[in-house]
Amino acid sequence: MSAPRSAAAETAALVEVTRRAADLAVKAGASEAAAGAYRARHVEVSWRDGRLEKVTEATTRGLGLDLYVDGRFASVGTSDLRPEALERFVAGSIALARNLAPDPHRRLPDPALYAGQSAVNLDLEDPAYGALDAAARRRAAAELEAAARAVPGAEAILSVTASVSDTHGESVLVATNGFEGTRRATDFWIGAEVAVKDPDGRRPEEFASAGARHRSAVEPPAVVGRRAGERAVARIGSRKGASAVIPVVVEARAAGRLVGALLGPLAASAVQQKRSFLDGKVGEPVGSPLLDLRDEPLVPRGLGSRRYDGEGLAARPFPVFERGVLRNLYVDTYYGRKLGIAPTTARASNLAWALGPRSPAELLAALGDGLLVTGFLGGNSNGTTGDFSLGVRGFQVRGGQVAGPVAEMNVSGNHLDLWKRLSAVGNDPYPYSAMRTPTLVFDGLQVAGI
Amino acid sequence: MTESQRPGADGPRDGIGYFARFGVTERLIADTLAAALSRGGDHADVFFQHRIGSDLGLEDGAVNRAYASVELGVGVRVVRGDQTGYGYTEDLSPEALLECARTAAAIADGPARPGPVRFHVQAGLPDRYPLSRPWDAVLPDEKLPLVAALNERAFAADPRVRKVNVFLRDEAGAILLADSSGRIVEDRQPMTILSLSVLAEQGGRREQNGYNVAGRAGIEFYTPERLDRVLREAVARTALLFEAGPAPAGEMPVVLAAGSSGILLHEAIGHGMEADFNRKGVSIYADKIGKPIARPFVNIVDDAANPGARGAINVDDEGNAAGTTRLVEGGVLATYLHDAISARHYGVSPTGNGRRESYRHPPLPRMRSTYMLPGPHRTEEIIRSVKRGVYCVNFSNGQVNIGAGDFTFYVKNGWLIEDGRLTRPVKDVNIIGNGPKALEQVDMVSDDLAIDEGGWTCGKDGQSVPVSQGLPTVRVASMTVGGRGA
Repeated sequence: MSAPRSAAAETAALVEVTRRAADLAVKAGASEAAAGAYRARHVEVSWRDGRLEKVTEATTRGLGLDLYVDGRFASVGTSDLRPEALERFVAGSIALARNLAPDPHRRLPDPALYAGQSAVNLDLEDPAYGALDAAARRRAAAELEAAARAVPGAEAILSVTASVSDTHGESVLVATNGFEGTRRATDFWIGAEVAVKDPDGRRPEEFASAGARHRSAVEPPAVVGRRAGERAVARIGSRKGASAVIPVVVEARAAGRLVGALLGPLAASAVQQKRSFLDGKVGEPVGSPLLDLRDEPLVPRGLGSRRYDGEGLAARPFPVFERGVLRNLYVDTYYGRKLGIAPTTARASNLAWALGPRSPAELLAALGDGLLVTGFLGGNSNGTTGDFSLGVRGFQVRGGQVAGPVAEMNVSGNHLDLWKRLSAVGNDPYPYSAMRTPTLVFDGLQVAGI
Repeated sequence: MTESQRPGADGPRDGIGYFARFGVTERLIADTLAAALSRGGDHADVFFQHRIGSDLGLEDGAVNRAYASVELGVGVRVVRGDQTGYGYTEDLSPEALLECARTAAAIADGPARPGPVRFHVQAGLPDRYPLSRPWDAVLPDEKLPLVAALNERAFAADPRVRKVNVFLRDEAGAILLADSSGRIVEDRQPMTILSLSVLAEQGGRREQNGYNVAGRAGIEFYTPERLDRVLREAVARTALLFEAGPAPAGEMPVVLAAGSSGILLHEAIGHGMEADFNRKGVSIYADKIGKPIARPFVNIVDDAANPGARGAINVDDEGNAAGTTRLVEGGVLATYLHDAISARHYGVSPTGNGRRESYRHPPLPRMRSTYMLPGPHRTEEIIRSVKRGVYCVNFSNGQVNIGAGDFTFYVKNGWLIEDGRLTRPVKDVNIIGNGPKALEQVDMVSDDLAIDEGGWTCGKDGQSVPVSQGLPTVRVASMTVGGRGA
């Protein structure tokens, strides 16, 4: 067996591979290039009904190259890092690029945008990562299951699948016009999926999960397992409600599905290609004043945190929506040049919402009658027009209280109308997604059922 | 049909077939399997994969971007009962393979089992994706005109067209599976997909739609007829959206057009019939084998054998023969879709549905090409029978809750049916139903089966695999249409 190398030696080796790839690209004829390499150790334990179901463990690696060849562009990746193979791959990729039409907008970012990286310690790597062993993972999985099976009504439980996973990853980015960055991060996730028997023969399932950059920040398995069990048991006896236009509360965990549908149309690529219902809306009101969120890349321990983005641009916070008004798009270098606007960053990091003062329970109490959405099922959102139609499940709300479970229903509308109907925002950002969505309340959504 | 050489004749150190170029030998495989079985276990296998992908992209009038990818790696699996240990690596050195095998072995805790001493290369696989030339022998010069012509023709086809995007992807791939029974199976798996997306403007409104075609095929797949169809469908489907409005909301009859409506089967029954969910007792179809679940004229198959189909395979990713599996025969639930673990669990033969996204994943029971066989009704008769409902023509995506049975599919283009006639186009509507209920309510099936040629991809447990689907025109007596208004 090969002797384990120190963390510093691993990093140095990865930096070396990345630099060599960038050099290789230039030697083989690229006028400029960006190379990114990663290495990750990933362990995943799945546990079902009292014993191990599956254990996956691997160290994986890969390399990507953006090649700028006489004004032409190719983006390529490989997991075959043997020196000769890599040389052939780079030469082949450059030859491929030479077949293309030149594109004057394809150049590396302006190096001025690499400068000014925050010095804040993002604390993305848990120093205790190595302390987690196979026995500890199995213990956590068993605790998840035991907690799920201890909830009231647990006799209806058919099966519990618990999972425990962790990743230690490292990446290096080198651009030939003066950028080099390295990044190390860990994440730890636990979760449980619980299937229950409904007296009518259906076997509804629910889940709960929790994850963080540092293991000590993950909720205890007993808490997550219990939540999964409770959520599953609460699904028993679900019915389809009537079609109506009613107030809808979207649970914080589920709300990412609605907000995620904004991220595609917020991209400069979509705007430049006329495939965005937000085209021409910068500076305009898109939602109610409660739609207020920023892109915050510099949150210590954040799941979406970074000091530089995928192009090497120094990460900076910026407003996306302020009191309902669209302030900024997600703009990468290429589409920024095509549109003639300054880049922000290609993709969202962490979202930071202007939170409301009320808890989910208080929001429900204020709602009166309506629908609480706890999960979406399929459906889609048309990024060009804003039309959406999404399957939902959740609970009826009567007199401000959660009533019976509903399923096999749907909500539909148009995003340009939906966000104007945002009437309340909770105080409860969902911690296990970089979108950190709070509970969202909408007035008068079209719900389809019976 | 595979290029596997017969090992043994020249000694055990010979390179094995396609993977000889990476230094893969019978000895390396034997050592890896021995390490995998070092703590016992019922079964071990090693899965090598090499996949070379190449994409050309057209935007704003020029083929101005290319993407290329190489995946090379190996996964080692140890199975004990229904427990799985799995490890993978991109490093094909003996040291890395042994470490990977020892990692996978940790699932077992018994005494070592001997690995196979003799290997046999499985010959006589079917040839379901014959190619005139592999994709790595096709020059960019041959592909570029194909992409560029679609752009010009799309702009010429309709003056409202403002933006055109074209992508052409091709893949040359090879897999090699060796297992503890001494079996070695190799397959070469090509794939191609062509996608045309159109954005049009009319009176300040914009609409976008597209069409794509995919198959395990070579450059000859792109016949003039197929390219004409790509163009015609992409432009027509976009133009129709300007006339389309929302569908109504609520329960009503739903008629599914022949072809990509097979998404109904994929979501309403296909996933629920994957045996892993049933083995665990969490599928709504658990305990329903041998029971009637649909009208007698409903017959549903999952088929690996359609030549050139995106969902076709010569052999599954566990090395098992893959043919035509009958899910529903005469309305009766006949067979689950099995991988090796579930087949052992149920004491049946594997059905060749053990598939994986790549060497980074252990296999799972997955669909291939899922469709319903033709039925006794006529398409006109089906549409005429509906007083008020929705006719669904094409789709973008679907999803299912396996246990609750609720499933959805998203309709991009459809029509309102009023008094037996298609009256106005509808768009962007999700339809939601419950699997067993929806199958019971399939009360008319036409004779016009079409298997869709589109590039469908199915996701499960974080793994994506290519699939196909098909359907004759079908009426479902009632489903919930996620539209607006009454």
